[in-house]
Amino acid sequence: MTGESAARAACPVCAAAVWPEDNFCEHCQAPLTEHDGAGHASRQPAGEPAIGQQASATSAAGCAYCSAGPVGADGYCEACGRKAPAPRDHWESDLAVLAAVTDKGLRHYRNEDAVAVATARTPRGPAAITVVCDGVSGAARGDEASLAAVRGALPALSDAALAGGDLVAASRLAVQAAQLAVAALSEGPAVAPATPAAPANSAAPASSAAPAAPGKPAAPDLSGSADPPSATFVSAVVAADQVITCSLGDSRAYWLDAADPAGARQLTSDDSLAAEMVAAGLLAAEDAASSPQAHVVTGWLGADNEAEPRVTTFSPPGCGAVLVCSDGLWNYLGDAAGLAELALPGALTDPLAAARRLVEFALAAGGHDNITAVLVPFPPAPHEPEQAEAGRASVAQSDAAGASTAQAGPGQAGADQPGDDPSGDATGLTVEISA
Amino acid sequence: MSQDDFTVDVFQNEYLPEGGQEANAIVTVTSPDAGQASPADAAGPAGTAEVIIIDCSGSMSSPPSKMSQAKVATAAAIDVISDGAAFAVVAGTELARPVFPPDGSMVVASAQIRQQAKLAVETLRPSGGTAIGQWLRLAYQLFGSYPATLRHAILLTDGKNEHESPADLEAAIGLCEGEFSCDCRGVGTDWVVDELRRIASGLLGSVDIVPDPAGLAADFEAMMHSAMAKEVADVALRVWTPRSASVRFVKQVAPAVEDLTGRRTQSGAQAGDYPTGAWGAGESRDYHVCVQVPPAGLGQEMLAARVSLLVGSDVHGQGLVRAVWTDDEALSTRINSQVAHYTGQAELAQAIQDGLEARKRGDEDTATSQLGRAVALAHSSGNDGTARLLAKVVDVVDVETGTVRLKRAVAEADEMALDTRSTRTVRTRK
Repeated sequence: MTGESAARAACPVCAAAVWPEDNFCEHCQAPLTEHDGAGHASRQPAGEPAIGQQASATSAAGCAYCSAGPVGADGYCEACGRKAPAPRDHWESDLAVLAAVTDKGLRHYRNEDAVAVATARTPRGPAAITVVCDGVSGAARGDEASLAAVRGALPALSDAALAGGDLVAASRLAVQAAQLAVAALSEGPAVAPATPAAPANSAAPASSAAPAAPGKPAAPDLSGSADPPSATFVSAVVAADQVITCSLGDSRAYWLDAADPAGARQLTSDDSLAAEMVAAGLLAAEDAASSPQAHVVTGWLGADNEAEPRVTTFSPPGCGAVLVCSDGLWNYLGDAAGLAELALPGALTDPLAAARRLVEFALAAGGHDNITAVLVPFPPAPHEPEQAEAGRASVAQSDAAGASTAQAGPGQAGADQPGDDPSGDATGLTVEISA
Repeated sequence: MSQDDFTVDVFQNEYLPEGGQEANAIVTVTSPDAGQASPADAAGPAGTAEVIIIDCSGSMSSPPSKMSQAKVATAAAIDVISDGAAFAVVAGTELARPVFPPDGSMVVASAQIRQQAKLAVETLRPSGGTAIGQWLRLAYQLFGSYPATLRHAILLTDGKNEHESPADLEAAIGLCEGEFSCDCRGVGTDWVVDELRRIASGLLGSVDIVPDPAGLAADFEAMMHSAMAKEVADVALRVWTPRSASVRFVKQVAPAVEDLTGRRTQSGAQAGDYPTGAWGAGESRDYHVCVQVPPAGLGQEMLAARVSLLVGSDVHGQGLVRAVWTDDEALSTRINSQVAHYTGQAELAQAIQDGLEARKRGDEDTATSQLGRAVALAHSSGNDGTARLLAKVVDVVDVETGTVRLKRAVAEADEMALDTRSTRTVRTRK
């Protein structure tokens, strides 16, 4: 069952499910020429290079969908009119100590999940830090809210990790900073409404991110509703001997045990109606994911939230991996043991490949929501700057940009930054943010 | 805020349901403020040419006030022509004759020339038939003899085009399309609304009824003021669409409904140009663009149309019509108020024309239901001008439901006024 659904990929043009042996999509007749090593059709648009770099490569080379036209200055193909993929539609990070993959999925028109990852050289060895936020659907500007939240939250966690400080307190500070960053959005005007390509992204080429032609006013943001921007929050700091998680909403962290699949467990608890009903004995745990209440969150970043973030400290019994994810993944596989089976043992040695496997699983299962998966092998691998940087020369620039944005974010957390240079070597901190 | 170039604003709901194939948008084009158009684009008086065409057929003598008022009106219009602009006056019968200058050329206006022209107009005597195609052909020749970019005619008639075939008239309109614009006026009630509407439509001008000849002078003066206020000639909308997409229609919807779909000139493999004529300073017009697109998957986005404003061959503004497929019904079912409003205004014009046509045929049921529908649409959209015209043709029983009774006695002028002005729209109440 699992094998079958995993082998079924999606048509790059219409997103219908296709079989490995198909040469054409049954639904839209698009040619399926790109097959990856695993033997199934790549869901990346034809002609696209390695995922994670697609936006810059395709806008220079031509349309990702019809391969006939160049992409115009406003980001649309001059032949078929399709919008060039936004960098955030599918984003990956591999910091060796941890890896992250986020994808807009098959049904939504933009990715409202955001993820920040960092590695820090700490007095007690390397630490991995991640924050995942999921813009609450139905609220306005969920993509901006989640991005502002992860940017706002990260400095509090990285500061504490670098200084060997109290990570539980830092986690609460991080939520406060994220909360302030989201609240600040309600006060300001919408930035480039209805334009999923994030104009602030320094890594995005101008040709694919240009929001509109000169002289054209921004289109009215029909996606905006009366609800103010809001997002879920989950953070994890994986240190040499413990894992500190913090969550508000229904994004999750899991412990996946390498020695004992049954030892896998969910580290966070959801702030959702379904979780409350399960806790009150009104709903069976196994029915929770499919219940209509599964996605009604009872805690969030943004206006009118009354729930408190919950912090947990966990001391892993041995080898394994920490998974941090949005509901786009756990909707299809919420069971910790099942997730461990899919991610391990790969997550221990190649967390990026394992994170991709989780995301592809959710896509093959329907990809109804945005999907984010971050995997941190435990214990965190020693930080090896030379090796890591040799393999990531191209992201050094975005590291710096991402980190400086994070440190310039609102909140008291940035007050005692260790230094002005956010790049890896000087401070022992490396940061990447999905945008 | 001073505006120094054309702007193009797009109003739409870009969200389509799964499999949705139609993208609709209202495109609002606004021209630069007075004196702000670049000198390269502004024509100025030296680039302006006017031809006034006066019906001199025998019927203009009954009542005699028609001819005398037409002369007064022509003189009033001549007085408005700016120094430096070229003009000519044409007398129309079953033939066309240059009245001033009498040699069949254009003349540059000055105080003295205007005086001479008015004296020449005084000599006009009604006699003969009506062949409007001939009048248009002479205007075409006159405009062709003078290098102006803003070319505009005023055409006055009081009767049916009966001394040439409809095909002759149609051929003349085809000849003149794109060469000059023409505002048409019918005086009295013996002319045919559809004929003048066809000319005005082809030549991107207005059409109206002047039931009482006494109203001609003020109307001519206003028309000529408006013509003199035009600054930029040959403005077009260029609509780019993706491969496998097609333009369903492009309609001007404000200030009046004018279907431009058939006026497309292909300007590229995936682009066509739609003429909008000449623009005055600070003018604003709305267009409804409807494009059929090949559906993409949920979550995908496509550019359904790129609408560019062209002056000559230069792009002066651009707007994007987008299509985003979503399974979020709250988004895909949202009605864009602009699109809905103008869809209603176009229906209003159609209901009036269909209703009046049914009434002429004696099909009172259709007439009652169509005119009733028009009453309800005019009311709900705040088109008070059209509502007043409707009230002269039907007795309104219930304005909300559009329940009406046809009036037994309707003045011909009222019916023609309703028909002629049926395409006039109002903008949305913001």
